[in-house]
Amino acid sequence: MRVLVVDPDPARAALVAEGLAGVEPLDVRHCAVFDHREAAAFEPDVVVVASDSPDRDTIESLREATATNPRPVVMFVDRSEAGLAEEAVRAGVSAYVVDGLSAARVRSVLEVAMSRFALMNQLRQDLEKAKADLASRKTVERAKALLMKERGLEEEAAYRLLRKLSMDTGRPLGAVAADLLAFAGVLKGDA
Amino acid sequence: MGERIRLGFIALNDAASLIVAEARGFFADEGLDVELSREVSWATMRDKMAVGALQGTHMLSPTALAISLGVAGSDPTPLIAPFALALNGPAVTLSSRLAGAVGQDGRADGLARLVARRREEGASPITLAVVFPYSTHNYLLRDWLAAAGIDPDRDIRLVVAPPSRMTGLLVDGVVEGFCVTEPWDTAAVAAGAGMIAVRGSQIWPRTPDKVFAVTEAWAEANPEALQALLRALARAAAWVDTPTNRAELAVILAQPGYVAADAAVIERSLSDMIFYADGATCPAPAHAGWLLTQMMRWGHLPADLDIPAVARRIYRPDLHAQAMEALGLPVAQPVALLEGFGATGRYRLEDSAQEAAAAPLSRLARD
Repeated sequence: MRVLVVDPDPARAALVAEGLAGVEPLDVRHCAVFDHREAAAFEPDVVVVASDSPDRDTIESLREATATNPRPVVMFVDRSEAGLAEEAVRAGVSAYVVDGLSAARVRSVLEVAMSRFALMNQLRQDLEKAKADLASRKTVERAKALLMKERGLEEEAAYRLLRKLSMDTGRPLGAVAADLLAFAGVLKGDA
Repeated sequence: MGERIRLGFIALNDAASLIVAEARGFFADEGLDVELSREVSWATMRDKMAVGALQGTHMLSPTALAISLGVAGSDPTPLIAPFALALNGPAVTLSSRLAGAVGQDGRADGLARLVARRREEGASPITLAVVFPYSTHNYLLRDWLAAAGIDPDRDIRLVVAPPSRMTGLLVDGVVEGFCVTEPWDTAAVAAGAGMIAVRGSQIWPRTPDKVFAVTEAWAEANPEALQALLRALARAAAWVDTPTNRAELAVILAQPGYVAADAAVIERSLSDMIFYADGATCPAPAHAGWLLTQMMRWGHLPADLDIPAVARRIYRPDLHAQAMEALGLPVAQPVALLEGFGATGRYRLEDSAQEAAAAPLSRLARD
């Protein structure tokens, strides 16, 4: 497990390392301030950051950026701020550790964070796939309508023709439909 | 004296009115028990506001809008902005090499040629930093780059870094430039790290930047305390904007508990900023609308959002006017026409949807 601890306080990094003792392989790296290049090279499985670290904004922005690989983030929270940790979780932090927590619980917190993050990531990917499926279905509908109009086919026959094209070429139905629409445009002189 | 009110701020020049209201006793004059809390990240500020650990904050205008709409990585927390803290705070600071590519006219065309050349040579893209995704700085920088044909999402790399660390990142070559509010631009110049290539006011004249924001719920439950806060802030802003007070202001801001930078640097960095004059404290819905338009243009907001309605719900010139009236001060009308903004050089709230779609590189134009 590769853990990046971003915290001016080295004691917390030590606590994380102690709590993870026995995990193999293990690499806990501590840095006082977040460094983009170092983080990219290290490829941590999980990032641990203090709630009072100026780097929180940077780490949050990485989650929003689509180009970079998002990582689960665990936050260290001072216990004096009631509700802050829960709010941070609502805002996208995967889990939190209240200051003063025993090393024994660190491992379970990080594991919860990683599985929770994996779940959220899966949901996000499912959503994106559902959106893509919907777009593909719309393309198929339009291609079907085009075949019905240009070839005088019934709806069922137009769909069978698309299916046949898809199977003959070994390409997905949506891709075949998109090609058909694009070529129809070319033949009509649109492009 | 009522309940203690906790207000958050970040170490920047435009927190001056909040800081001065505490340091020179304007909060106390209103019988308010205010505790200023120096925060280090906008994310923490957002979370503390949501749980009620802070009643009001110095806030990036786009963050206040994004939190209210629930797009800033959190569930929506309705906020209102009854007071504008400053104009003309941000600037774009670049490494001396890059700054040379920006002409006297402040346009980024020279930078665009540099970006193209680097791409041809297969060199790594230019990396620039802003302070938060939902910041005036992000949208100001994007608009400036896009006007020269530079796509901020494809042609360069944009990263987020804390304001006080910008100089160090520039010195270390981690970034080649940034857009941040003063004093951190002037501080970078003073450290020999770079040059101010263009000021916010050259891109968006009288650049709207931070607001004072409170939750709608707190404002409704504490109308009198809110008015007292606004009166104290208005008096503080007037003091801040008085030229003969600027040297003393710089000394106050320089203190470790406030901005914690060199007083001489802070004094220089204040020269372009407006805190009070010509109705600067009035939160203009047109400013909110312009920022929402930018957010929509880059695909950070749904394309069907009713921008004028959202802008008028969150920016509250009526609450500001009430405080000014109580102080016997002239009540400024919120600015409705933003001159020098956008391709046409004229923006009004009702132009929002059209402006978002027609802006260079608009993400709405693809559909």
